[in-house]
Amino acid sequence: MPPHWLALRLHPVQAPVADGAPSALTDPLTALAWRALQLTPWVAELDGALVLEISASERLFGGRNALLHTLLMPALGPLSCAQGPTGLVALGRLWTANPPTAAQHTMAEGFCMQGDALPVDALPLAALAAARAHLPTLERLGCRTWGQVRALPRAGLARRFGADLLTALDRAYGLQPEVYPWLRLPEVFDAPLELAAQVESASALLFGARRLLAQLLEWLRARQRGVLVLELRWELDARRSNALHLDAHHDASGYGRLELRTAQATQDLRHLERLLAEQLARVVLPAPVLYLRLRTLVTQPLSGESHSLLVDEVRSGDSLHHMLERVAARLGPAQVLCASTEAEHRPERMQHWQPWSARDQAVQYREEKGALYPTWLLATPQSLQVQQAQPHFHGPLVLLAGPQRLEAGWLEGENPALRDYFVARSQCHGLLWIYCDRLEGKDGQRGTGGVGGTDGAQWYLHGVFA
Amino acid sequence: MVAQQAFAAFSDASVPDVDALDGLHADVWRAHALALAPQRTVATGDALLDQHLPGGGWPVGALTELLQAPGVHNEWRLLAPALARCGTGPVVLVAPPHLPFVPALCAQGLAAQRLLWFKLPLPARSAKAGAASGASATPLWATEQALRCAPVDAVLAWLPQARTEQLRRLHLAAAEHHKLLFVMRSDQARQDASPAVLRLQLSADADATLCVELLKRRGPPLAQSLHLAARTSALRQLLAASSALQQPAWALR
Repeated sequence: MPPHWLALRLHPVQAPVADGAPSALTDPLTALAWRALQLTPWVAELDGALVLEISASERLFGGRNALLHTLLMPALGPLSCAQGPTGLVALGRLWTANPPTAAQHTMAEGFCMQGDALPVDALPLAALAAARAHLPTLERLGCRTWGQVRALPRAGLARRFGADLLTALDRAYGLQPEVYPWLRLPEVFDAPLELAAQVESASALLFGARRLLAQLLEWLRARQRGVLVLELRWELDARRSNALHLDAHHDASGYGRLELRTAQATQDLRHLERLLAEQLARVVLPAPVLYLRLRTLVTQPLSGESHSLLVDEVRSGDSLHHMLERVAARLGPAQVLCASTEAEHRPERMQHWQPWSARDQAVQYREEKGALYPTWLLATPQSLQVQQAQPHFHGPLVLLAGPQRLEAGWLEGENPALRDYFVARSQCHGLLWIYCDRLEGKDGQRGTGGVGGTDGAQWYLHGVFA
Repeated sequence: MVAQQAFAAFSDASVPDVDALDGLHADVWRAHALALAPQRTVATGDALLDQHLPGGGWPVGALTELLQAPGVHNEWRLLAPALARCGTGPVVLVAPPHLPFVPALCAQGLAAQRLLWFKLPLPARSAKAGAASGASATPLWATEQALRCAPVDAVLAWLPQARTEQLRRLHLAAAEHHKLLFVMRSDQARQDASPAVLRLQLSADADATLCVELLKRRGPPLAQSLHLAARTSALRQLLAASSALQQPAWALR
């Protein structure tokens, strides 16, 4: 199959793209190169445009048109495209069709093939980068097109204009292999952004960060990876006296940083944006910011998503991970808790509420026989008043059942639990779970006293049957 | 003649056939009957309560409000059976007043791994007026996030200070994403307007029953309150066995 080259060029956008538009990338040409690298390894940046060789990949991606569609849709911006049998010809046709000095026209989103019909010999010399330095001389010789230069004697041409022009022409006509510094997909995403204006408030950094995230998405898609940890850095204006500020986000070096973590590798831009917005809401900028930098710290290969075969099972809404991370970002990671149970006798240790982010994946959930336990447990047992040897909690309590004796924790030494639990009834609060602490009884009955309720025993409210 | 026929036709129409009403939209119900619930319901586990609720259970995708005296919390008794059977997804608790005791809930069929607890951070000491209003919006925000999450089955929120328009917002979120939503409030809000489709007032009776008053439902108002057994069967057995000793445990000492 003969080689087939594409040349692509992005037109600079005059009007600043509205913030939040999907095309607001920080570096569209690099993003386009990353996309092209998914289709072919032969991608190079040449003379302000991208050239790529696609003949070997056409069949895999379903033909030339399908491949072009994959490459250019959704559009990264107005661009023009040309093709040819060699890279230099494609590039020459691209520059002929819309020269770099011509007034740039903004096109509608999309692309068009340009100058495909131009024969190689008729291409103007201005479209060949190696000939641009010698244009006036060549013109005085009467040479305006590639064909005319090529008709000159090779030895004289090399002596007069150097070997570069000859090599370039040979490459353009396919007589020499085209070897360029091929672009590689970076292992780590690391992109800077110079902000258009000084940013004073942290939440306004989000607009710049959003463009960096859009760029990140192109990189993640190209590498088929999801991000786990991201780092956003910003440089404080060094002319301000408090640029060397020290707090949770600033380390007195004139830079600030923020780490963004997700539990599941993700390519979801909206989720990252929301997390970043929550985090930035807590940052206080001591000085204005001019530069941003976004870097991936940990990424993970992303496996495909499996969808349900049945339409009915699809529920609307976002995923559990995303929701919990967002809530944890606002409330604090220690405030989103999940439960685990443990084989223990002391009620306060039977269950363990731990932060969801730090949960133990391998925890075994035991079905405890807890039918006789209350459904609410007080975090710290509430000391009850005792009047006439009867515990009171908003009125006198009537003991209905008990005692259930508990002796545990003596191995751990410091504070063994010696308790008698009772089910008690309160006039207005329903059934309560109270205990009498046998340790705090009279000295003579310490630890060995009779069933709870001895004079001076301390009563506690520990649970509510709801 | 024509006028007579027209009148006859009109009078026929003005006394519609009873059967004709059955074809109406499910949101329209006759004042003396319970509404046919247009949405799914989950049985409460209490035959008596199911009988008096439209659709025979807790409405899915609508706000249900439970009012209780301040400091009293009897909601698990009513909700645990329904939560146990509503699915296998997470049940989110927003700002519960005490620690939910997992072994007891497991015993009622609510698996431990389904429970998620959103604990609210303690308000800062030097809270300004603006910060205070932000703090009161946080539980509402967290509740709404939970409602908008796909795998979540039910959301229980203790929102003593929620306002009507905030509750309406939660109600709409629940309706959009088809979630069970229970909001626990203080009974001081009894006189306030509420967007809830179902409002209940709970009070514990002295004699081992839970008194449920249906304040609002889609159907005729219920004059008398319902008395439900306030305990699980195991606890009931324990108490029966204890009282069978004739003397209260207190007197034993």
